Amino acid sequence: MTDGDYDYLIKLLALGDSGVGKTTFLYRYTDNKFNPKFITTVGIDFREKRVIYNSRGPNGSPGKAFKVHLQLWDTAGQERFRSLTTAFFRDAMGFLLMFDLTSQQSFLNVRNWMSQLQANAYCENPDIVLLGNKADLSDQREVNERQARDLADKYGIPYFETSAATGQNVDKAVEMLLDLIMKRMEQCVDKTQVSDTANGGSSGKLDSAKPEEKKCAC
Amino acid sequence: MVRDQQDSAWPGPRLQEQQCFGACGSSSNHPLSQVPVGCHGITVYRCFTPTLAPAGRKRVGRKSIFFSKEEVNSSVSSEQFTSTSLPSVAAEKFFESYTYRASFCSFIKQTPFDFSGSFVQELERETVLQVLYRDQMVRKVDEERIRKLKMQLQQLRWKGTKSVSHEYQERSCARCQKSLGLVMNRGAVCNGCSHRVCSECRVCLNPYLWKCTICYAHGDMKVKTGEWFFEERAKKFPAEGRHETAGAKLLKSYQKLSKISVVPPTPPPFTETTGRNTTMEISQSKSFNKSVENLFLSLATNMKKISKSQNDMRADKSLLTTDYGQDMERRKERRSQSDTAIDIANRIKNIPSLQQLINGTRDDNEVFTKRYCKQAEDIPTSPMSDTVFCGGKKHNSLYSINSTCTEAGNFDMANVTGEIEFAIRYVFKACTLEVCIKACKNLAYGEEKKKKCNPYAKTYLLPDKSSRSKRKTAVKKNTVDPAFHETLKYKIEYSQLETRQLQISVWHSETLKRRVFLGEVVVPLASWNFEDNSTQSFNWYQLKVKSEKPEDNLVQYNGELLVCAKLILPSQSKKCQYEEQMRGGREDQASADGQLHLVVLGAKNLPVMRCGGTLNSFVKGCLTLPDQREIRQKSPVLKKEACPQWKHLFVFDGVTPSQLRQSCLDLAIWDQASFGSNDRFLGGARLSTSKSFIIKKLKTKETLQYSFYITIIIIYNAVAVGAPLRAGAMQTHTHKHPLA
Repeated sequence: MTDGDYDYLIKLLALGDSGVGKTTFLYRYTDNKFNPKFITTVGIDFREKRVIYNSRGPNGSPGKAFKVHLQLWDTAGQERFRSLTTAFFRDAMGFLLMFDLTSQQSFLNVRNWMSQLQANAYCENPDIVLLGNKADLSDQREVNERQARDLADKYGIPYFETSAATGQNVDKAVEMLLDLIMKRMEQCVDKTQVSDTANGGSSGKLDSAKPEEKKCAC
Repeated sequence: MVRDQQDSAWPGPRLQEQQCFGACGSSSNHPLSQVPVGCHGITVYRCFTPTLAPAGRKRVGRKSIFFSKEEVNSSVSSEQFTSTSLPSVAAEKFFESYTYRASFCSFIKQTPFDFSGSFVQELERETVLQVLYRDQMVRKVDEERIRKLKMQLQQLRWKGTKSVSHEYQERSCARCQKSLGLVMNRGAVCNGCSHRVCSECRVCLNPYLWKCTICYAHGDMKVKTGEWFFEERAKKFPAEGRHETAGAKLLKSYQKLSKISVVPPTPPPFTETTGRNTTMEISQSKSFNKSVENLFLSLATNMKKISKSQNDMRADKSLLTTDYGQDMERRKERRSQSDTAIDIANRIKNIPSLQQLINGTRDDNEVFTKRYCKQAEDIPTSPMSDTVFCGGKKHNSLYSINSTCTEAGNFDMANVTGEIEFAIRYVFKACTLEVCIKACKNLAYGEEKKKKCNPYAKTYLLPDKSSRSKRKTAVKKNTVDPAFHETLKYKIEYSQLETRQLQISVWHSETLKRRVFLGEVVVPLASWNFEDNSTQSFNWYQLKVKSEKPEDNLVQYNGELLVCAKLILPSQSKKCQYEEQMRGGREDQASADGQLHLVVLGAKNLPVMRCGGTLNSFVKGCLTLPDQREIRQKSPVLKKEACPQWKHLFVFDGVTPSQLRQSCLDLAIWDQASFGSNDRFLGGARLSTSKSFIIKKLKTKETLQYSFYITIIIIYNAVAVGAPLRAGAMQTHTHKHPLA
């Protein structure tokens, strides 16, 4: 994992109230293991995983496969680390916003986290997936799916009910987020490089090449 | 941590209580106080007063840690308090919010909790730091990857070198340089770079969009390096470092402040300032850091010094009981190489008082050594004579001083066993002491585990522990019963032998210069009968461990200085007056000035360290009067003489007899260095006076005329020496010797 043999370094960050299961979730994702113990995260931490991302072509055809190095930042949900953790928001390209399906309060706080993200993330509308964790504890459930989905729709972000204990939707959620980021990435590049709509083919005038309009430094 | 499970992030609605919980305590709507903090549904506002927060630091408030009222009011232990409400130091540093710290600390002061739980913070910081270092590794790998990507792109660019300045004179592809046709394969202009490229140098992104290879590679790189992200972010945070991550920033600020990390986390300057309107300048705290840094620096230097001088330590310790303890400590630190008279005065520490010398003149041929002991004990109240002089009774650090140039104290001790066989004899004709070392048996292993032993024997003619008096045998490999059969010779006058001790030590020579002490035998040569043949035969001696107090009754003899002194008073009548006054004990009225004349005649038996056996010697004299006034004199340099005869007169003006009683005279002999290097201290003597100085003599004589030899005490390698000289046994032969 220490070599630089990858195409993308993608930084994701998990956030949410203390005890919603961010660390366990990431542990499940990276190591595919479950640790039921609650060990509070001190400030920040991160885990790494290397995945293959298959980009899809414009018409859904399978495109190139990229090696993606994921740096998954784990933040402390505790209040007292807030200044530290929010500082790391600005470095992340995507966010796993988690709440505990068995805790109404953690769900209510999603709103606050969202505003924190808006304030501190790299842009106003970063890529976020909303995750209702501890889906396996259905008997203790306090947040129903409808509520959560409504909220996610309000923000226009995907919603998953996950369980670090069972592994339910864990991979899927991260992949979804990764997909969003990759798409945004391409958009960003296209936006800066191609200002107007493509008029591809060979219709360009011969002498219309104007050197001063160059976008790339070649 | 305790409340972690229920820790909720922000309060929903803002509650009524809007009093600032920070230092300012204001309840008004402070411009910066819009920072609600919630725990358990209780909101506490804490502002940063404008005085505390400089402009542009508004965000500090938002990012800071706050305390809920509950946390503050509940009687949690200090540890809990810290663990629940203290932000990690790293975070604190990250924001460099000195302002924040200022109010934080004053806040702490207001609360009844003490700040002892800081170790929790310490641990947390360590944890965070480790994460940051891991992150640094990730970043480094990534930077390397990006560097490679950029190189690749650069190479790609160089391949297609069509530059802007060359207009399209020639129809060719800007990438592959292939010429383009007018009708067929005429190429197309890339939307990205506006260069005309052939159809092969295009990358199709979708049916309607293509780019030339370089534009594509450029975009590709932008994606792969994460540049897109930084670009996006720079739009939102234009002021902040484009590529700098929070982790990097944190780590940097930590490293900047790492010096301070040893200091408990409450910075003193902040705790000092508790006022409500305290202004905390950033520069102030920076200077604080700086000063701490300096502190550490100087500490480190001192540490070095101490470790350098640790060889002296052992001896110094024993000295601390004497009056010179303080001096010692000071000098040990100073270790100045510029030996001034003061240094010397501190080093010299022998010697009989002038009075004692003068008293001695009554009994001309008496050797005073024993007497001095007695007298010194008799008059302990005298300020100058409380340095008890007695032949080696108080011995200072000569042993270890000299060991700096030989042993360096760096050796291991084995369990001393075994014996050594040797013989000592003195060859009168050649004035040579011969030590014949024959063999050892049953030595301890130098390396016990490996059962290894490479013994050799080493001798010193103590008290000289310099390399001049060191003799060594060859090293015998892998044996505990080595046979040496070597004769070590010393050129030394027979008369000097009685002041010497022969130290024969056995060592194990380990690799890398590390030595192991295997045992020693010390033979006091004073009691050795060299005339008797029976003592010249070989004998076995039991090896012993190093004696803690070496050469107890030994004199450091380093030659003799012949001086002649007289006190010249202005007139006979006045002198008589003094005489009476002194008898009556009215010493204060002695006012007339006299002159102390001291003729330095010559010296002999000086240690000759220069090759060629000569010295460029001179004498420094320093008379220290009771009022700490010092009168200094220096003789000319006599070049290339081993036994210099200066015959130089020192005149110390303005000395009254009463002053003289409490004065001391330091005489030091130096060897002038040839070029640039420091002069070498050869030895010195201190003559101090005591109560009844001269009175008796005044009765009978107008002037005092004495000449006497002073046994000089020498410090070898004066430059490396910081400890005062040990009092040596004094062989003063005082003669009446009228001055010319």
